[in-house]
Amino acid sequence: MKIILEIEGLKKYYGRPGNQTKALDGISFQAAEGEFLGIMGSSGSGKSTLLNCIATVIQPTGGKIRMQGADILALKGEKLAEYRGKKIGYLFQNFELLDHMTGRENILLPLSLHSVSGKESQSRLTRLAEYLEITDVLEKFPAQMSGGQKQRVAAARALIMNPGMILADEPTGALDSKNAKTLMEKLAGLNREENATILMVTHDSNAASYCKRILFIQDGVIFHELRRNLPDESQRDFYGRILNVMAQLGGGSANVL
Amino acid sequence: MFFELIRRNSRRNRRENGLFFASLLISIIAFYIVLSLSQQDVMQFLRQMESDAVNRLLAMIPLFYGMTLVILFFLIYFASKFQLERRRHEFGMYLMLGMRRGRLFWLLLAEDLSSSVIALVIGLPAAVLLSELISLIVARLVGLGIIGHQFSLSLSAVLLTIVGFLAIKLAAFLILSAKISRQEIGSLLAEVPEGSKKQRPAVVYGLALLAGICCLGSAYYLAIQGMSWRKVSIMGLTILLGFAGTLLLFYGLRSVFGLILKGEKRDRRLHRFNVRQIQESVVCQSKTMAVSSILILAALCCFGAGVAVAAFYGKSESHVLDYTFLQEHSEEEESYGAEQVIETLQKHQLEKEFSDVFDMKVGYIRTTEEYENVLELDGLMEELSELPESDARDTLQNTLSYAEYPHLISLSGYNRLLRLAGLPDLDLEKNEAAIYMDQEFISGERLQIMNDLLADSPETTLDGNPIRLTGSVQTVSLVTDRSITLSFALILPDEAFSYYTQGNFDVYVDAALDKSVTDGVSLMQAISEMNQKLNETGLHYESYLQNMGRQLFYMVASSYITIYLAVIFLIVANTVMGVQFLMNQRKTHRRYKTLIKLGASYEALCQSAKKQVQWYFGIPVLVAAANSLFAVRALLSGILSSRTQGTVTEMMLVSAAMIFALCVVEWIYMAAVKRSSSRYLLTLMVPEREE
Repeated sequence: MKIILEIEGLKKYYGRPGNQTKALDGISFQAAEGEFLGIMGSSGSGKSTLLNCIATVIQPTGGKIRMQGADILALKGEKLAEYRGKKIGYLFQNFELLDHMTGRENILLPLSLHSVSGKESQSRLTRLAEYLEITDVLEKFPAQMSGGQKQRVAAARALIMNPGMILADEPTGALDSKNAKTLMEKLAGLNREENATILMVTHDSNAASYCKRILFIQDGVIFHELRRNLPDESQRDFYGRILNVMAQLGGGSANVL
Repeated sequence: MFFELIRRNSRRNRRENGLFFASLLISIIAFYIVLSLSQQDVMQFLRQMESDAVNRLLAMIPLFYGMTLVILFFLIYFASKFQLERRRHEFGMYLMLGMRRGRLFWLLLAEDLSSSVIALVIGLPAAVLLSELISLIVARLVGLGIIGHQFSLSLSAVLLTIVGFLAIKLAAFLILSAKISRQEIGSLLAEVPEGSKKQRPAVVYGLALLAGICCLGSAYYLAIQGMSWRKVSIMGLTILLGFAGTLLLFYGLRSVFGLILKGEKRDRRLHRFNVRQIQESVVCQSKTMAVSSILILAALCCFGAGVAVAAFYGKSESHVLDYTFLQEHSEEEESYGAEQVIETLQKHQLEKEFSDVFDMKVGYIRTTEEYENVLELDGLMEELSELPESDARDTLQNTLSYAEYPHLISLSGYNRLLRLAGLPDLDLEKNEAAIYMDQEFISGERLQIMNDLLADSPETTLDGNPIRLTGSVQTVSLVTDRSITLSFALILPDEAFSYYTQGNFDVYVDAALDKSVTDGVSLMQAISEMNQKLNETGLHYESYLQNMGRQLFYMVASSYITIYLAVIFLIVANTVMGVQFLMNQRKTHRRYKTLIKLGASYEALCQSAKKQVQWYFGIPVLVAAANSLFAVRALLSGILSSRTQGTVTEMMLVSAAMIFALCVVEWIYMAAVKRSSSRYLLTLMVPEREE
């Protein structure tokens, strides 16, 4: 299996020495192509910081991040913008759709940003819209869509450039359970059928049960790892195992108190 | 701690809203300059000669002052409202942390005061300096060497500026803070909900656009045809149509954007995003844009009218005479004429400074007691009425109907005048006469008609005696004072003149300065110096200076007032647009953040924002510029129709100059807004910790 993302000793400290918050304190892991990797942890564990470092939204204090062999911390200017636009697709907790543009315009926005011609993307847009069941809201404005539709439009936008990896930050956080289920099924489907690589941060155990592998983070370090035994293990069993680990996170052996 | 907070907050306000602060400075400067108008060198100088007109103008200053106060109040209210709205959350936090409402009020009041004081401290010295500079430049431009320039600080202007400025700021503040402080903490802390956008069918917008264009068209039709200027009610209708038309036009403009988006297949870099942003502004702020556009149009009109009026009065008529010496009114009958004047001049060794001194005799017909039909003009009138109808013909008919008892002018004096003007002498036989009419009454088309009528030397009678009207119409001014004019007079050979006037006539002694006196100095200076010398001789005189003064007065008055108003209108319009754009950008900062996360580079964002600025300013400005082409035409037909028949090229030149000036101003404003927006976007690029 081809390794697509390599992270080595990633550190992110906030504040001055003496009064430091260590959001990430030396995290290392790898993600292979076609993987559906979940990252779980409680509030303030550093999971969003990790995702933001990979998305180049924040600059880490130390360590290395390599995406398809390239060191992304060295990227600047045009290259950096290209990385954000083409190598990764970002799925936000609160959708981040532009409310003054239609669904279609929102989805095509990355193309416009990176001046990509539209022919090929048009057919991709049609296919994605069909798969995500948003064909009939393409001409609507976000205010006229339901939460689930908004998130699926946002997913289409993250996928339109055919990125090497999809970063999803609590994608179900603002959705009700039914819409959350639909979205996770679609994401899992994409992973299965199109071999899309997905890195998802969540604290929703239900959503996490769609993943193939889950990293648990606490106080800035990786504290546990779970792997779903495919194809034998059912989603329900995997969910049970996740809940067990989560219970430990709250008051288990890792807790100093 | 409290004062530290005030200091820091007000500094942050100034920095975040530099555009607004700069506009406050400009308005302070404008206030002072118009209020200190009476201190300007030119006005001081004119006051000596045209005290009446100058005083009337100065009496109007409070009116302008009051009007500007009202306009600027709205500007300040509007901009402050945005500023306070943005800080709602902060106020909510203060209250949550236990600050009493009264204290919050004082905090805001102190912040407001401190920024006002800083604006005054910077603005007033700048205003005084600028006013001095303008005074010096104007004095130099018109060639006033006479009065030594003195530094003049108008205390009353300073005081009125301070009082007016603080008053409107305070009034705006009180209204706004009352609104804010009455709200609940919860609603202050909550994000302001976006106003829901009601969408109507596209047809509605299309119809609005059409209706707007129709309204504007009919308004301009009424104004240019001159109908609006005849009745107040029609003028009101015209203005109403203009306002409604502009509002409708901007309301309907969104349909155009719909078409733009539909029409374009390709999406160049963020093009669709930009168009949608502009569309949103047009949809949500069509009223502000329309009002801004109207203000810019008003500025253009002020400027255009000012230039036209100044150009009209500035047109230097060919002038021949520098002085006219008048007989003093006295009980005894003294013989008075050029000889006596020259004698007096010789006594004071001034005779060498005049090149020509001669009598100009003007009198009435004294051979009859009648006043009606003394000069028989029926023949001429009949010929006139047979001509095709025109304005010129009607005016001439009117003028000639008052000509039955004309003034008389002696030929010898008039010929001296012609020689001085470098024109050939007029030859008249015993029973011939030439017609004299002042330039003010006859020019262009009318002169042509009259000369055609006189071409075959029509015969008529003067007090029953046959007389032949010959030559072309004479128009050279008889005396220096241009406000003394004759609408109709007859020039008669000297014998005939003495017969008809029975030796009872007025003598004006005309004179011109010698070349040696006027060489090397401006005419204004030469005449001023001569006036001082003449004051010692006891001679009663009128000089050409009065005319220059009058011209100067109209030029200065019209240009000062109109430029002042134009500047105020432009400031208000541009500040409103600039502040609104920047505030909108802040309100929609999430969109820019999303774009950044999607991989937009800083340059791409800046470019997108710059394009939006261009559109946002460009639309109202373009509409105003297009309107101004018609509006200036309408204004000219209303104010100046009877007096100047400005050629099309002249008008186009005025318009072009105006639009060029507007472009410069807009460019400056846009550059400032772009800079400000780029700086703001840079702050968005800095990653934030989001947990």
